[in-house]
Amino acid sequence: MFSLPIIALLVAGAQAAVLTLQSPRFTVSSSTGSQLRSEPISLAHASSIPVTLTKDDVLKLTFQVIDKESGKGVQPHQTFLRFYDQNSGEEGIQPIRVTNGGKAKFELNMARPPLSLPPTSDAPLQVSLLIGSSTYSPLALSLFDLIVPASHPVPAHPDEASFHPLPEIHHTFRPEQKLPPRPISALACIAVLAPWIVLLGLWGQVAPRAVHLFSPGIFPFILTLGAFESLLVWYWVDLKLGQVLSYGGVLALVTIFTGKQALSKIGDRRVGRK
Amino acid sequence: MAPKSSPPAASNVVHSLWKAYSDQTSDRMKFIDAFLVFLMLSGVAQFLYCVLVTDYPFNAFLAGFSSNVGQFVLTASLRSQVNPENKNEFKEVSPERAFADFALGSIVLHFFVYNFLG
Repeated sequence: MFSLPIIALLVAGAQAAVLTLQSPRFTVSSSTGSQLRSEPISLAHASSIPVTLTKDDVLKLTFQVIDKESGKGVQPHQTFLRFYDQNSGEEGIQPIRVTNGGKAKFELNMARPPLSLPPTSDAPLQVSLLIGSSTYSPLALSLFDLIVPASHPVPAHPDEASFHPLPEIHHTFRPEQKLPPRPISALACIAVLAPWIVLLGLWGQVAPRAVHLFSPGIFPFILTLGAFESLLVWYWVDLKLGQVLSYGGVLALVTIFTGKQALSKIGDRRVGRK
Repeated sequence: MAPKSSPPAASNVVHSLWKAYSDQTSDRMKFIDAFLVFLMLSGVAQFLYCVLVTDYPFNAFLAGFSSNVGQFVLTASLRSQVNPENKNEFKEVSPERAFADFALGSIVLHFFVYNFLG
């Protein structure tokens, strides 16, 4: 079904009919309407004098697209004006409306420059015409160089400040705490240990005589209490929490037994003595 | 009451208080009191070190000081419970029961203290 148009296209492409422009011409006029410059455009070689536009000037471009062989006006499918800045590599594409008869008119008013005009740099814009048609071979014509007034600087986007790397974050930590000098540590150690001398001195005077301390009923209790304290020291030095809790649980059972025995014995002796 | 006679009177009072204490307190109570004095002095020494020099191994200070305070509390309660003069106040608490409480409380306290020592 659709193979027929495709074949037709291929045949047309094979013919490679050629388009050309008739009477291409540009006119520069000032805002008051007075004509400043009006020249035909040579298709063979681009104009050596660039076209200069000032702030309020209007550039008019007129041409007719024709079939080179028959000389009839042709409406191509695509017609573009390309503004290319060689320095910045920026380009702008401006579509141009072409009538059925192939006539086209383009107006560039610098008072209201089109969005397709690239931002200016040092180099003039190279203006070329690109014409594409399904039944003709494509056409690219470089027309002239164009010097336009400098574009405004790009306004800063309101969020522009957010798109820069932030200054590097430096964390400040509290300085490492230090131990005091050794003499002070030694003095403090003596001061903290001095109460032991007081304790031992006082106990030496007032210690009650513990006559039954080593009796078989009481000594196991003292022993298990001592074992508890050693277990806790061992915990400090080496053991893990779980080990301490399990060993302590076993030791607690023994201690409850020995403690009950020892304390009931002491209680009996106290009550019996009374 | 005159200010001139107050220093001798004050020393007199302290002297008679000390004399009454040493005469009327049993050796067992004195034994416990000596331990209480030791705990107090040791706590004061550690606290002064923390304030005046450094609290650097703060966990060690906490462990040492809290062990003193906790042991003082436990010993003071042991003393009040085993004191024969307080018999009427702790009728159902025998001295043996008080000592068992003291031993249990001390073991739990020491467990926490060694935890803090780190």
